[in-house]
Amino acid sequence: MIPDGRTPVIVVTGFLGSGKTTLVNALLKKESETLVIVNEFGEVPVDHHLLESPQERTVALPNGCLCCHLRGDLEETLIGAAMRRRRGEIAGFDRVIVETSGLADPGPVAQTLFADRALERDFKLGPIVTVVDAAHPENRNFSLAIAKSQLAAADLVVLSKTDRVSDFSAALEEVRALNPQARCIAARFGDVDPALLAQPGTEKLGTDHVFSSAVSHPHGINTFTLKFQGPPRKDLLERFLALLVDLRGADLLRVKGIVALDNGQTVAVQGVRHVFDRLRPVSRPADTGLVFITQNVERREVDALWQAMSNLKGT
Amino acid sequence: MFLNMKLLSHHGLNGFGGMGEGTSMQLARGGRRILWLAHESAPKNFTAVDVSDPRAPKVVVQTDLPHAQMRSNSLEVAGELMAVAYQVTKFGLKPAGFELFDVSEPERPRSVSFFDASGPHSRGCHQLWFVDGKTVHMACADPELKPRNPKDDQVYRIVDVANPTKPRAVGRWHLPGTMEGDDAPPPQRLPANFDAGFRAHNTNVYPERPDRCYLGYIDGGIMVLDISEQSRPKLVSRWANSPPYNGFNHTVLPLFERGLLVVSDESVRDNATDWPKLVWILDARDERHLVSISTLPLPPVDAFKQRGGRFGAHNLHENPPVPGAWKSDQVVIGTFFNGGVRAYDISDPYSPREIAYFVPPAPEGSKIGAVQINDVFVDDRGIVFTVDRHNGGLYALEMNV
Repeated sequence: MIPDGRTPVIVVTGFLGSGKTTLVNALLKKESETLVIVNEFGEVPVDHHLLESPQERTVALPNGCLCCHLRGDLEETLIGAAMRRRRGEIAGFDRVIVETSGLADPGPVAQTLFADRALERDFKLGPIVTVVDAAHPENRNFSLAIAKSQLAAADLVVLSKTDRVSDFSAALEEVRALNPQARCIAARFGDVDPALLAQPGTEKLGTDHVFSSAVSHPHGINTFTLKFQGPPRKDLLERFLALLVDLRGADLLRVKGIVALDNGQTVAVQGVRHVFDRLRPVSRPADTGLVFITQNVERREVDALWQAMSNLKGT
Repeated sequence: MFLNMKLLSHHGLNGFGGMGEGTSMQLARGGRRILWLAHESAPKNFTAVDVSDPRAPKVVVQTDLPHAQMRSNSLEVAGELMAVAYQVTKFGLKPAGFELFDVSEPERPRSVSFFDASGPHSRGCHQLWFVDGKTVHMACADPELKPRNPKDDQVYRIVDVANPTKPRAVGRWHLPGTMEGDDAPPPQRLPANFDAGFRAHNTNVYPERPDRCYLGYIDGGIMVLDISEQSRPKLVSRWANSPPYNGFNHTVLPLFERGLLVVSDESVRDNATDWPKLVWILDARDERHLVSISTLPLPPVDAFKQRGGRFGAHNLHENPPVPGAWKSDQVVIGTFFNGGVRAYDISDPYSPREIAYFVPPAPEGSKIGAVQINDVFVDDRGIVFTVDRHNGGLYALEMNV
């Protein structure tokens, strides 16, 4: 048994009007022991009033975007919630949902959880859930960089508003083109199985999709899995990741996976752009490897770097 | 209050929900799981609860003590035999010692024998350890001994019960200087407001080291004893934190493969006036040189001391080497009175982390306005069973870490 006990922080993202609040409300009805943090982009907080959660379990972070100057506020809110929970000032919560602004890149939220040592004691990154409007193509906006980032970061894609359209294959194809690794499900009125949110993003490599389809990548976005010939050394894996971040960190939209090491340990790898979580021991699943979602970084470059490093004697 | 623990059920134990520190599981015939619970005080002796379905516990038997000036407090089940401690409130009273029961039919516990430890300087048995069906290790007075200070009456005793109808005392150990006739001088006592006594408390012996007893000795610290000759236990090492701490070392849990000891204090004063009462991690790779390396991080004392009753460490899940019990050397689970039941990740023993807890609301009718979680047992399904000291009864919890 490898104990963890940290509270998962589920990031719900998606473009403006995609149906994030509907999804969060539906989740709250099924999983009430949830702290909700809502980030709005505007002067007056509105979205958190739409949430049907007890006031003490809903926190609004107005006036800005989580990917910009509100990361400090998110840290403060989470640490404060953990302290109040320890002191018994609030009953408790099993999970945190951060609903980002429709104009936010979810990557920095993940980075906040990886990079902040005070936070990582109590919290861990749960799945990144990206809501995509299946009914209205004009709401998907995948030509915009921010929408692309939201989708690339996803562990779970929820196709929303499927009550309004019978054929959502076009939306599915667009999603698959950008992020074929994410699990993808359709939802009516935000109704999804909460069990899908119970696993952290690294526990599955995304090989058991609810839907499957042929993948065609738009220009610049690459998705691939790095498989290791044999169990690598931990220090070699750490150096490889560090060097990769040094060279191309800005283009690593998402890296995640599970690696069996030569010391018998199995570790989870999680990273978003320049920031990676420390390698954490996990139970070994059937499938191991590292999934990359990148922009302008190709498989052969990553393979070549790994081969070069693993061939170097003395590393 | 909760973190990664969910309440599956709560049972008030028919209005007698004041429970001691005897919590033991029997895997009974027919596949039933019977949880045996010792009561904190009269009038009840022990209660058996069928917890096969932890969401729907059922009391199968509840027994009475012979009189009100005694308590059972501690019990253990090994196979179909149960040992129940009897401690009296005044020296000389009876019954003082322990009773053995045949629990092959949980609904009808049948007395097999009684081990008498009564005497003019005895309050009998406070706590016992019985996991192999053959030997009772206990904190109990010995009528042959006269303590220099009446608080020091209960010593470590070994009783052979291989023949359950004829329990036979085979060995004992006490801190030198505490009994009349000892060559050693009396120990330096703690300040009067914290002077609880130099006597035995938990007396754990495990199959990994059948030649060792891990002994909590209240104000005397903890001891590792060599019991390879049961008639003559010998001190291997001693670790004490008091003074400057405020005494009452309670339980020693060895984690053999990791070379660690987990040591709990007991908080015995309301409103945390004896704070800090902690759980300590000791490096025991060399059992002769025990080194304290960390303590489990409790919630802030200022937030809990005024909640009512006691706040601080007490019992641990002791990895009892019996079928049906959960065992872990990575997670330590303990009880903390109004701090509830708490689980800690000690995979890094230098930096333990709290990973789960459950603090029930004040039980209905509580006179102190807070729960007083007293003891814990975790079964091999991962279900956490914990009890209230005053009137809350039994709580079954699911832990998700």
